[in-house]
Amino acid sequence: MPQPQDYQTLLPVIVLAVWACALLLLDSFLIQRKGLTACLAAAGLAITLGLTLSQIGRSSSGFSGMVVLDGFSTFINALQLVSGLLGVALAYAYVKRMGIERGEYYTLLLFSVVGMMLMAQATDLIVVFIALEMLSIPLYVLAAFNRTQAASEEAGLKYFLLGAFSTGFLVYGITLVYGATASTNLSAIFAAASSTSNLLLTIGAALILVGFGFKVAVVPFHMWTPDVYQGAPTAVTGFMSSGAKIAGFAALLRVFATAFPAIAADMTDILWALAAVTMILGNLVAISQTDIKRMLAYSSIAHAGYILMAFVPYGNPAVAPVSIAAGLFYLAAYVITNFGAWGVVIALEQPDGKGLQISDYSGLFWRKRGLAVAMTVFMLSLIGFPPTIGMVGKFYLFRAIIDGGFTGLAIIGVIASLVSAFYYLRVVVNMFMREGEQKIEREFWLDLTWGAAAFLTVAISLAPGWLFYLASAAGLR
Amino acid sequence: MVPVNYYIILSAILFTLGALGVLVRRNPLIMFMSIELMLNAANLAMVAFSSVNHSFSGQIFVFFVIAVAAAEVAVGLALIVQIFKSKHTINVDDVNSLKG
Amino acid sequence: MTAAQIIFLITAAVILGSAFMVVTTKNLVHAALWLIVTLFGAAVLFATLNAGFIAVVQVVIYIGAIAILFIFAVMLTRRSMTDTGPGLNRGWWLSAAIALLTFGGLVWLVSGWGGFTKAAPAYPSGFDAVAALAHALVSPEAFVLPFEVASVLLLAALVGAVYIAFQRKGEE
Repeated sequence: MPQPQDYQTLLPVIVLAVWACALLLLDSFLIQRKGLTACLAAAGLAITLGLTLSQIGRSSSGFSGMVVLDGFSTFINALQLVSGLLGVALAYAYVKRMGIERGEYYTLLLFSVVGMMLMAQATDLIVVFIALEMLSIPLYVLAAFNRTQAASEEAGLKYFLLGAFSTGFLVYGITLVYGATASTNLSAIFAAASSTSNLLLTIGAALILVGFGFKVAVVPFHMWTPDVYQGAPTAVTGFMSSGAKIAGFAALLRVFATAFPAIAADMTDILWALAAVTMILGNLVAISQTDIKRMLAYSSIAHAGYILMAFVPYGNPAVAPVSIAAGLFYLAAYVITNFGAWGVVIALEQPDGKGLQISDYSGLFWRKRGLAVAMTVFMLSLIGFPPTIGMVGKFYLFRAIIDGGFTGLAIIGVIASLVSAFYYLRVVVNMFMREGEQKIEREFWLDLTWGAAAFLTVAISLAPGWLFYLASAAGLR
Repeated sequence: MVPVNYYIILSAILFTLGALGVLVRRNPLIMFMSIELMLNAANLAMVAFSSVNHSFSGQIFVFFVIAVAAAEVAVGLALIVQIFKSKHTINVDDVNSLKG
Repeated sequence: MTAAQIIFLITAAVILGSAFMVVTTKNLVHAALWLIVTLFGAAVLFATLNAGFIAVVQVVIYIGAIAILFIFAVMLTRRSMTDTGPGLNRGWWLSAAIALLTFGGLVWLVSGWGGFTKAAPAYPSGFDAVAALAHALVSPEAFVLPFEVASVLLLAALVGAVYIAFQRKGEE
């Protein structure tokens, strides 16, 4: 029988999975009241968040080393659950407006969060693989959720095909790693890898990197991102761009830092190049976008590059803790800012798909000041301009990278950020300087989402110490 | 007996063929079939490694890969059939209202 | 040459030939049928590697369920039964070059590495491989967690597939 410790290690995940299954059943009785399903889904996420927070400071491992509970997993899971809650808040009014209000939306979202949380806790490649699918398959369906729009179905198909393709790489990578080390357990791989260093392991790790690279949208595995982000329902995009990224980076970090320090010398160069290319390309292509969803998609690619930057020195024990803490802080900053920005996009989107061009933001300040100010805050935060959390995140990140001896990469990052100012500020200029009219959707939970996100973006930047402390405590040792 | 190396080489060729199929073909069904080839290549290598190591985790991994492939196939084919129903074509070139 | 080697060579040739047909044929039904041949070849190789249970699972699930679903999907999208128009995308030669390079690298890697030149050893007599596999699958000391997660995953996939394929009232 499983021991109580096994259950304790995985308690939040189990609770959320059971809640999702129960919600699936309950939903069939709530025929005309899908709003209630949303509230129940949010309640489940909130309860799980409470459980996760109650586990702060604990660490244990369960199911014979398949999963682990530590500061890292608690930090990531809390972030994941917050993004799940924000995902529900964004969707609540959006699905009604788009005429796609169905209970399955929330059930699938919960299942996806279950997979994301499990991924941060997994310490066995088999569990990593299953958790990755657990998060991806509901996302494929969610991307295709708006069946009245062809774009949404296409986004779902595209996401599915490229996601399944990347799964193929991940599976082959796991296979080669298993061939080299005769185990799928991360610490056993570490033990086997340090005794013999061989090429098979390096290739396996590189293929695993490709698999995760697709998930977190790192150049050159990013081709699906703009199309999927544009075609998917906006509430799904907001959730997906945060949740899948957190989970992908969490698993990448866990797998590489636990299992592959032996090949860090090779991997560091690869990660360096990927981060540099991602930052440059993501920001350059974003400049030419006229659709706000595509622009934010390229922005999300560019941010994947910044976050990846923090992982470059993962094998160097002197530098890694600080740089990983900076990466986690940046991840949290990105999640808050990103949800806010997508909230504003949802507020301006019309049921017929209008209101998504950057030119549609013209004169927003003169119609709805709060919304325009909030959007300005998010854009500044994405650039890394004070006084926003994005600036603090970039500061920690670049400092850690320079301390780690990667000054060249830091310079590329700074230049990329300067380039990015161009297209983010264009939105701001549009809102303040141009004339225009737009219909704005008012809805309590949506307003609360972007309002709270804007508040946090500024407030945390004034006192960032506690969040950085949490991120440092969460670092993998 | 056949050295396990041969199985791995066979699986590498199969994986490459599958990846090539995904990259060059335009029909989602064929692309999806090619993905199945890739998964099978991985399974083959996994079973070969597993039998040479005398450890079960490889075979169990294959078991899970098959389960996940079944889940993916259910969702993926539903998507493909649904797109065909609404557009009467599934060719990737015709499914392009999103400009890349 | 022993019987085992001959079986391996024939099966390998069948697998590669049929996989090549899957990737190149224009007719979707043929592609699905060639896929079944490939899957069957893989099952034969699983059996030669002392993985009898996986071989059975391969036949029952991969061929019996997954490949059949493929044939259903091809039939349901009947107008596109033959792949009209250019079957290859514009960048095919680039993709082909990258894939061949990858392949060359993999083969060079495996052939240059002496770790697996021995053949798979047979199990000692009296060892029940299927029972051991079954125990490993549901034992908390081994793989019960991924097993349970897989069941939830299948549920989620089921819900998703039903949602996507469900015909609503009011839709054509």
